[in-house]
Amino acid sequence: MLSLVVLLVIIIATLLAPVYASRIAKTDPFASNLSGTIVINGQTVPVIQPNPTGLGSTPIGPTWQAQYFLGADTQGRDVAARLLYGGRASLIVGVAAAVVACLIATIIGLLAGFSGGMIDATISRLLDIVWAFPIYLLAIALSTVLLVQGLSIGPIAVDPGSLWLPVIIIGFVFVPYVARPVRGEVLSVRRRDYVEAAIAQGARRRRLLFKEILPNVLPSVIVIFPLMIAACILTESALSFLSIGVQPPQASWGTIINGGQAQLYTRPMVSISAGLMIAITILVLNILGDGVRDALDPRAKLRLRRRGRAQA
Amino acid sequence: MTTNTTKSRSLFALLALAVTACVLAACGSSTAPQGSEPATTAASADTAATAAADANADVTLDSPHRGGTMEIVWNGFGSSIDPGVDYDGNWTLLRLTNDGLLTWKRVAGPDGNTLVPNLAEEIPTPTADGLIYTFKVRPGVKFSTGQEVKPSDFKATIERQFKLPGPVSSFYAVLLGGDKCASTPKAGKKCDLSLGIVADDAAMTLTFNLLKQDPDFLQKLALPFAYVLPANTPPKETGVTPLPATGPYMIESFKPGESMVMVRNPEFVQWSKDAQPNGYPDRIEYNIAILPNAGTTQVANGQADWIADQIPADRLGEISEKYPEQIAINANPQVYHMVLNATTPPFDDVRVRQAINYATDRAAIVQLWGGPKLGQITCQILPPNFPSYEAYCPFTLNPGPTWSAPDMPKAQQLVDASGTKGQKVVIISTPDEVTTAVSLYFVSLLKQLGYEASIKTLQSGVQYTYVQDSANKAQMSMSYWYPDYPAPADFLDIVVGCGGYHENSTANPNLSMFCDPAIDAKTKAAEQMQLTDPAAAVAMWTEIDKLVTDAAPWVPLFVASNLDFVSSRVGNYQSNPSVVGGFMFEQAWVQ
Amino acid sequence: MIAFALRRIASMIVVLFALSVIVFLIFFATPGIDPARQMAGRNATPETLAAIRSNFGLDRPLPVQYLTMMDRIVVKRDIESYSNRGVQVIPQIIAAAPVTFSLVFGAAVIWIFASIGIGLLAASLRGTIWDPLLMGVSLIGVALPVFWLGEVANLVTQQRFHDTFLFSWVPPLGYVPLTEDPIGWFTHLVIPWLVLSVLFVGFYARVLRSDIVSSENEDYVRTARSKGITERRVLLRHQLRTSMITFVSLFGLDFAALVAGGALLVEVVFGLPGVGRLTYLSLAGLDLPVIMTTVLYGAFFIVVASALVDILYAFLDPRTRTA
Repeated sequence: MLSLVVLLVIIIATLLAPVYASRIAKTDPFASNLSGTIVINGQTVPVIQPNPTGLGSTPIGPTWQAQYFLGADTQGRDVAARLLYGGRASLIVGVAAAVVACLIATIIGLLAGFSGGMIDATISRLLDIVWAFPIYLLAIALSTVLLVQGLSIGPIAVDPGSLWLPVIIIGFVFVPYVARPVRGEVLSVRRRDYVEAAIAQGARRRRLLFKEILPNVLPSVIVIFPLMIAACILTESALSFLSIGVQPPQASWGTIINGGQAQLYTRPMVSISAGLMIAITILVLNILGDGVRDALDPRAKLRLRRRGRAQA
Repeated sequence: MTTNTTKSRSLFALLALAVTACVLAACGSSTAPQGSEPATTAASADTAATAAADANADVTLDSPHRGGTMEIVWNGFGSSIDPGVDYDGNWTLLRLTNDGLLTWKRVAGPDGNTLVPNLAEEIPTPTADGLIYTFKVRPGVKFSTGQEVKPSDFKATIERQFKLPGPVSSFYAVLLGGDKCASTPKAGKKCDLSLGIVADDAAMTLTFNLLKQDPDFLQKLALPFAYVLPANTPPKETGVTPLPATGPYMIESFKPGESMVMVRNPEFVQWSKDAQPNGYPDRIEYNIAILPNAGTTQVANGQADWIADQIPADRLGEISEKYPEQIAINANPQVYHMVLNATTPPFDDVRVRQAINYATDRAAIVQLWGGPKLGQITCQILPPNFPSYEAYCPFTLNPGPTWSAPDMPKAQQLVDASGTKGQKVVIISTPDEVTTAVSLYFVSLLKQLGYEASIKTLQSGVQYTYVQDSANKAQMSMSYWYPDYPAPADFLDIVVGCGGYHENSTANPNLSMFCDPAIDAKTKAAEQMQLTDPAAAVAMWTEIDKLVTDAAPWVPLFVASNLDFVSSRVGNYQSNPSVVGGFMFEQAWVQ
Repeated sequence: MIAFALRRIASMIVVLFALSVIVFLIFFATPGIDPARQMAGRNATPETLAAIRSNFGLDRPLPVQYLTMMDRIVVKRDIESYSNRGVQVIPQIIAAAPVTFSLVFGAAVIWIFASIGIGLLAASLRGTIWDPLLMGVSLIGVALPVFWLGEVANLVTQQRFHDTFLFSWVPPLGYVPLTEDPIGWFTHLVIPWLVLSVLFVGFYARVLRSDIVSSENEDYVRTARSKGITERRVLLRHQLRTSMITFVSLFGLDFAALVAGGALLVEVVFGLPGVGRLTYLSLAGLDLPVIMTTVLYGAFFIVVASALVDILYAFLDPRTRTA
């Protein structure tokens, strides 16, 4: 339960990011503020302070007050506000990608498992192909290429800078991880006596699909869902860390870690805080996933079996 | 693509920022670190003593500092080790392994830009019409394979430029027969320069016959493309196999993405202290798998001797405070700028280009780069070390020779007048730290001016190709450029002029796609004048610089200085200002 | 059984073929990517560009280019990188493989022992505070982004505390071959090992514990207990043994994926010149021959490993053969 509370706190906090930035911190987390100043203890100090040696400059560190609570990044932007906005992007990408992955996976898993024959064989081979890539390599390859020109499939055109691009890429690479177990589940449900009996009696396929199979498969997908969100958030952060995920000036926790590399030695808090936020979110999502599993699928037949390899 | 004639007379280099080629330092204001006080004194005593004996003797032979391994970290090392192919990726080290007829003097200070004879016995004077150059080749110089260097090797080396082809083989198309070699890939493969280069191996003479006058011809012969290789060198990029060396060092092994090792060339005997002095370290090892941040730490911890990458901005405070003795700053003629694509809205409107120029807070950008000690604010195209340079800054609060502050009201007014407010602008950036930081600044600025701005980050390998191709309509990107040597050539024609503009090509150095017919006419006139009245040409180039600056195809930002960070054990630090210069690590002591 | 294995191998080949076509198309069909430009050097003239295009056959139709490339990778085994001209790609991978293997092998040793230890401990301490505590810690391990952990480890061991006795032994980032300097090999890799294994320790410990716990009610455990075998023996001999089936099959897949280049983030953060880093750099530089070869190499490992696991499963459980 605690995990749910923590997750809700994170979600609400990130949703309130604009309020925090405009009302509390009164800083613009997306505008460079290279020559701005703030007042600390009655003294006016620059946000970016030139070093005494005249070489380089150091962004202000944590002030522990409303403005620049966690200090500034190299652009003079408020790290705390960016952390909240970044969380919003990370959560949006994570959830949306997980939805994409689970939705597509459920559809094609059902299709393959239920139809059998050529359709099943084709889908299975396609899944095998996607699956044969180490997941990060596939995501990196797609991102590198799609960032050049964006993506357009028929009427849908996705701009390279859009959040939808990482959503689609990450959702896509995780499809086999859900579709394979879904297909397996469909196969096993089909083999159950009462379903076989229904087929033998000539039940209508559609009715069978929605009345018998889907209700049996759905809990498994719901169990996977929170873990999928966690995996998608981690993948997003890795892509953004390699600067091919969420594109600046938009922020995500991954881009903050990536940007924080540029100040890791002087202001390690930037990277560390974003990393901790990811870790906490993944942690509560995993705990939540366990909870959901215990509630819906106590026998835990459908664990996200090959999840480990997704994350190295 | 018909403009190769103008190009053939121009030497320029323009590099994507992300590919950090940081070792191009000029030594105007060198503050050399001292390894240790006694060592430095000893050195000057050494030098004084030997100078008295023989100005050309190999001083390293009896030096206590001779020997040891120079450890270099360089993540940016990514270019070819073939001098015929590499274009200013590894020139700083190819300079130590191979030699041309001429070179720039291997000394610190402004004198390091002087051309001196290397494998030639002296610099020849051309015939009165300026078309024939006859060299006497220095006898007795051997390749690391034991073969002697002969005039015919030089001829084959230049022919190899066309057979490969080298990146700018057209530099040598001015030779008789060279125009034919440059005409098609097929002709290049069979290139024969028998008319253009006459080599007499018995008399050790080499004669170059030119089609037309070329004021830069001698400088071109000093570039690594013309470093001599044995005549039987295959006309194919050598890859990882080191080519025969003539210099004090030769490459022992090269593993791309991992390491490169140079050892002493056993056949090397110093022939000219000015041109190619012997080095102190026995081995020079490059670790090329280490990121700049880790590399900086290694130098700080004494695990490496020099970092050839740029020091990350984050570490400048730390190292300048903790290791002030181990850093040196050298002026550098690189002009960093934002490219504005003059063929794509909104930057096809000169008012918008000027508005960005007025609005840019150049001081803030210099701070991003590392502070005023490392970057000098500029508003114009030409770098300060140029003969035609005259300080000029129209885009500031109080226009004059220098920049003082951004003029936002003026910028806003120009944007309003252009009626382009609300348009989309995408800045093409790379994952590189500085590029990202500057691009982010401009996103902010453009938003402030009323544009819908965003960034598109491409991997550095792709980015430079991408912004060159006019088909991609890249609106804005960061770049820098510098001349290969300060000569009033026609670079204004190449980097921001019609001569360099190749539509729908990825070999288009004119990233701004800026081509103004009126300026072009003036440029062509100045090029002509170069040959007849060089003094008048200089004035004309100054005028063109101002015209182009006013038309604002760029937002010129700053002229960079270069910072070297060496380990505490390194002594005798010196930096050479030429294009093949920088920290002369072979002259440094690690013992 | 043999028919199943043959079918599996046939589909493996189909997958590898389709994969190579897709990768080729992804990189050649994208506008803005121009391999000739990369080969020509940074400031090449249009003439040079044209010459290179014709020399390397980049002006020929795509199917021809694809066949030429595959012929060079698979049949002639003679293919050169575009970005680092003259560099043979296959020897490059052969040189990178030991680095990756050293990294993954060391991490695997840590993660096997640590996760079995933690899993067993937690299972046997069920009902005490230690079980949830150990599982909580494991979960934290699963939650840490590996690249971030690597960065923080570098910050601590290379800079912040490098001068203290704790980490003064930590060598600079990079790799030293085992054959050259065994001690250097170990000290260079020990921190990457730990960082890479954290995730897997956490994950495997949890899997193991839950498998052991869920076997509590299985017949064989009850039978063993009823025979009066000690608790410890039941746990080690019976419960652990059966739970290891999942463990081992998971391990096979993870190990293969990591050897295939899945450890790239760790390799990038620690500057280890392994297969993952090679693939990443080739992707970043769009070095097509290297991308093709590394992807095929990686896919080969994964496909073989998953085929083996499937065949193993089929052997153990005939029902899945039709799947």
